Amino acid sequence: MQRAQISALGEGALAAAPQLIGIVPWGMVAGVAMVAAGLTQGQAVAMSVLVFAGSAQLAVLPLFIAKAPLWVMYATALVVNLRYVIYSAVLAPHFEHLSRPWRALLSYVMVDGVFALFAGKFRPGDASPQKHWYFLGGSLVMWTAWQIASCLGIFAGALIPREWSLEFTATLALIAVLIPLLLDRAVVCAALAAGAVALAAAKWPLNLGLLAAIAVGVAVGLAVSRLAPGKPRREEEGG
Amino acid sequence: MSETWLAWTLIVGMGLVAFLTRAVFILPGSHLKLPATAERVLRYAPAAALMAIVVPDLAMPQGALSISIGNPKLVAGLVAFGLAAATRSILLTIVGGMLVLTLIR
Repeated sequence: MQRAQISALGEGALAAAPQLIGIVPWGMVAGVAMVAAGLTQGQAVAMSVLVFAGSAQLAVLPLFIAKAPLWVMYATALVVNLRYVIYSAVLAPHFEHLSRPWRALLSYVMVDGVFALFAGKFRPGDASPQKHWYFLGGSLVMWTAWQIASCLGIFAGALIPREWSLEFTATLALIAVLIPLLLDRAVVCAALAAGAVALAAAKWPLNLGLLAAIAVGVAVGLAVSRLAPGKPRREEEGG
Repeated sequence: MSETWLAWTLIVGMGLVAFLTRAVFILPGSHLKLPATAERVLRYAPAAALMAIVVPDLAMPQGALSISIGNPKLVAGLVAFGLAAATRSILLTIVGGMLVLTLIR
């Protein structure tokens, strides 16, 4: 490794370090919630490493407890992860000169916080030769912290009695993730419509109500943004 | 399918889903641009999905609709919404919500 690469790696790692305050408790919650939902410790560690996507993991756990069909859980994980598709489109031109293993590695370690750092620092067309090392440095800090925190949660979670209903932490964590997404009126309407349909259609077979709720929510969001294309504003209410 | 197999199939499948959503544009190395409508759909869908998971979990704790102060999960969840909006802290939201749930019970 050349000096410039090491320095870019370190710069990325340092830039991501303040985000540890957020990711450590988040990883611990995911660890505790996975075990509370009935996964064995080995399964929970495997999920943490293979999936490495906290909100998708937490979103699937209430469905796993309710014995929803596999494809509904996959579809839910996909929808919750759709934001990564946007990140992937933004990052692709930055990484297209790299080898395939590099591109696979950078895809696997991608998280919200490092994407935000990277997109803020490197504009489209930026020709910095070491920018992938910067991305890797930040991502490795987050990945390592996430895995350690998640393992702590997994092993601590196994010691906590069932009566504490720790599986409820998954739902609470989803609420905390949901609130910052509600940036404008259209998203708020999409979320409220989805919540209402999810209640009304809760008894539909195969958890189809969940997918119907998402579809209606997206349709309502699109309709609101068409009909009332006001400027985006911060919206705090959620339910 | 046994519990064990179901869990492992879920984990491996979710691993694929998580990787593919991240790699979809990066791995082919394409210059594809997302249409504006697609970008909006991608913005609304996660919020809709999270709300659609959270709301029944709060309002139908035993599988039956229960919108009253007598439903501890609903009260704890509403407090958590308030805490999340006010503090933007995942930790405070979870600790506060669990505290309310435990106290009511």
